[in-house]
Amino acid sequence: MPSSTSSSKTTADGGLAFERPGFVRLTASDRPGVAQPVPERHIPDRRWGRIQLLALLLFAALLGGWEIHWRNYGGTFCCRDSNGSWAAQRRRIDDGEGGALVLIGSSRTLFDIQLPVWQEATGERPIQLALEGTSPVPILEDLADDPKFTGRLVIGVAPELFFSGFAARADVIPYFHKERPSQRVGHWLSQHFIEPFFAFDNGDFALGKVIERQDWPLRPGTKRPNPIRRLAQSDADRNTQLWRKVETDAAYREMARGIWLDHLNGPPPPPMNTPEKVGAILSSEIGKAATAVAKLRQRGVKVVFLRLPSAGPYREWENRVYPRSQAWDRLLNETASPGIHFEDYPQMQGYILPEWSHLTHAEADRMTAAVAPLIEAAFAESGTTPRGTP
Amino acid sequence: MVFNSLAFIAFFAIVLVIHSLPLGWTNKKINLLLASYLFYAAWNPPFILLLWISTIVDWYAAQKLAHARRNASRHAWMLLSVIVNLGMLGYFKYGNFVLENFGMLVASFGIAYRPPHFDIVLPVGISFYTFATMSYTLDIYLRRAAPARNFLDYALFVTFFPHLVAGPIMRPTELVPQFETPRKATPEMLRFGLALMTLGLFQKVVLADTFLAPVVEAVYDRDRIAGALDAWMATLAFSGQIFCDFAGYSTTAIGVAMCLGFAMPDNFRFPYAAIGFIDFWRRWHITLSSWLRDYLYIPLGGNRHGEARTYLALMVTMLLGGLWHGANWTFVAWGGLHGVYLVTERKLRSWARGYRPGPAAMASMGLVTFALINVTWVFFRAKKFAIAWQILSGMFGAHPEAAPILSFMRIASVTLIVGGILCTHWALRNGTLEFAVGRTREILISGLLASMAFAVVAVQGEGNAFIYFQF
Repeated sequence: MPSSTSSSKTTADGGLAFERPGFVRLTASDRPGVAQPVPERHIPDRRWGRIQLLALLLFAALLGGWEIHWRNYGGTFCCRDSNGSWAAQRRRIDDGEGGALVLIGSSRTLFDIQLPVWQEATGERPIQLALEGTSPVPILEDLADDPKFTGRLVIGVAPELFFSGFAARADVIPYFHKERPSQRVGHWLSQHFIEPFFAFDNGDFALGKVIERQDWPLRPGTKRPNPIRRLAQSDADRNTQLWRKVETDAAYREMARGIWLDHLNGPPPPPMNTPEKVGAILSSEIGKAATAVAKLRQRGVKVVFLRLPSAGPYREWENRVYPRSQAWDRLLNETASPGIHFEDYPQMQGYILPEWSHLTHAEADRMTAAVAPLIEAAFAESGTTPRGTP
Repeated sequence: MVFNSLAFIAFFAIVLVIHSLPLGWTNKKINLLLASYLFYAAWNPPFILLLWISTIVDWYAAQKLAHARRNASRHAWMLLSVIVNLGMLGYFKYGNFVLENFGMLVASFGIAYRPPHFDIVLPVGISFYTFATMSYTLDIYLRRAAPARNFLDYALFVTFFPHLVAGPIMRPTELVPQFETPRKATPEMLRFGLALMTLGLFQKVVLADTFLAPVVEAVYDRDRIAGALDAWMATLAFSGQIFCDFAGYSTTAIGVAMCLGFAMPDNFRFPYAAIGFIDFWRRWHITLSSWLRDYLYIPLGGNRHGEARTYLALMVTMLLGGLWHGANWTFVAWGGLHGVYLVTERKLRSWARGYRPGPAAMASMGLVTFALINVTWVFFRAKKFAIAWQILSGMFGAHPEAAPILSFMRIASVTLIVGGILCTHWALRNGTLEFAVGRTREILISGLLASMAFAVVAVQGEGNAFIYFQF
């Protein structure tokens, strides 16, 4: 059998293969109806040691420059809030921590509740399962279907997401249920060897996104995309804070506000472009939540809803589209659950929300210290009388 | 495990180290076999049982077949192999599809029958490894190959991780002989293998996933009517995406095998420079098209029994080739359209015998071929016929009032990338990648490799599965 891998210098024809323009290596398509021989592969006659060394140096220079750029921009190390990271926390419930206190909700629950402060206040560090840009209803339903979850549940309500059912990260639940062993290994490797050392490892800094958000000419009839930029920084157990740059960099903060304004003032998506459609979806989401809460309650799980603060145009929009009486109050009523609304508690008011939706890190610490005892009290009272007001 | 993942980088580094240890050749092969099972199990552990069933049945059938004295007995053992492999493939890949279509068929006769829907998960790579193991039995049946000398070489041929889940579909005569004698990559092979892996991952992670997939999804997966520009751009983007995704996988697989000292065949030969469809199918997914030719088209009679029979064999082969890609009539339509193209081309060739086109005519025919291939991609990509018709009608100007969908940047990136792919394919259409690299300045090769590796890291791919994993 001929050698299957040979340099062009040492081929039987003395390397003519590379000298002859138009040379085509034969493939199975050239040999019908016969046994296919061992494939031939050639290595171009080049000094591959030098090529590789130079390529490595250039690669290191490019990557180093990229890393320095993002560190200067304010990038932080550890951790990426990936599907793998969420799945690792979700798995804790099935791996012996089914009786734990679990937080679900959207980015306000994720950014505004600080796990170390909660632990200090109550002695228990909750499992953080809230997800940015995502309604907690599918996660609530998933937990309701999991008999291993027997603990207590705080459900954050960001009206825009909860009552619309919008889920930017809807793939996280199927990911958790179908997570491959190789994906778990990949997450572990990333969390130990990549995320703690590289600031560029953040979705907002991905090369494709950076290119996409440059000031390209606008095609007539299209709108300039204005996707939500980075807002958070996370720890390994998904304890998450508002990214310091939003707090300290006025230009970045203005941009974040501009994105919210674009988003709030834009036309509603077709499934929600009439009040009737909005109302139908709201009813459906409350119905799903009520069913799931009833299921949880059957096995002794206690539930508290939590509405964290918003401000400025964001709060105005929420109050207009999802008035409290038609959304929040109805939710508590139909789920027969206790709830804590920031408007009802003086200790939950007067906080700084740089981009109208999330608290700064320091304010999140203060809010957590204030809200943890309220929630513990609500849990203590739940099962007796549903409460929506203090 | 997918090549574009951290888990694979760690896995491959460990395999390379173990393979370079001073161990006996048999031990090295055992290590490779165990590593290959680990590679497969890391995706979905229970399905490794199916891989073992396919491996053992074909080993046993081939042994019996090789030693059988009577033709009927040889025939029976061959059939056993084909039935077990196609049976597994049929159940896992086409079970629900057959039931649903049976339900629709009986409903058309007025019989109310709702078939049960089974929650069947498709084992990754089953279409590839069943074809590889079948080629082992069939080559022995057709007396083209002798059985492997030992089970280890045979099992490694089936399971060797670079080709296991998405090809290239290897034949036993291509790989088994490579396991018979000790092999170790030279430093040059290792370096060039790593360069090929970089190129393959760049095609997949950067071009296919980052720049082309979002364009395709914006038009094919949203409930919006596309005008001519958007429909064409999305379809061109898909032609680039499917090539970069699959050719990227094949190039990475060839590089991985080379780093271990093994040779794998080309699976693509600059297909978008094809002039005509006969030429296209000698350049696109070569290991599948040649498999279908050798084990389906030729046994069906090939071109040996007159024109009508040739066309029939061609159509059956292409329709089944389409169905191989997935349990959906849109894939059958894709295969059928290619069958029609091939039949038409054969007819045209027989009418225009003796015609020698000049360079301009060649280029024009190449462009027509590429445009018609894009029409077939619409059926391949669209999940339903309704979407396919909508896109196709958009491509031919039926929706002049449609609102624009794609941004300037998206259109520019498709033009640049697909234009670049077309130029590259035409520049290299009669050559090989190695031929081109052999004539490129070393400093430029280093710069390109560094840039591609940087882009692979900087785009922060999500480890998306390769498109062909679903087939």
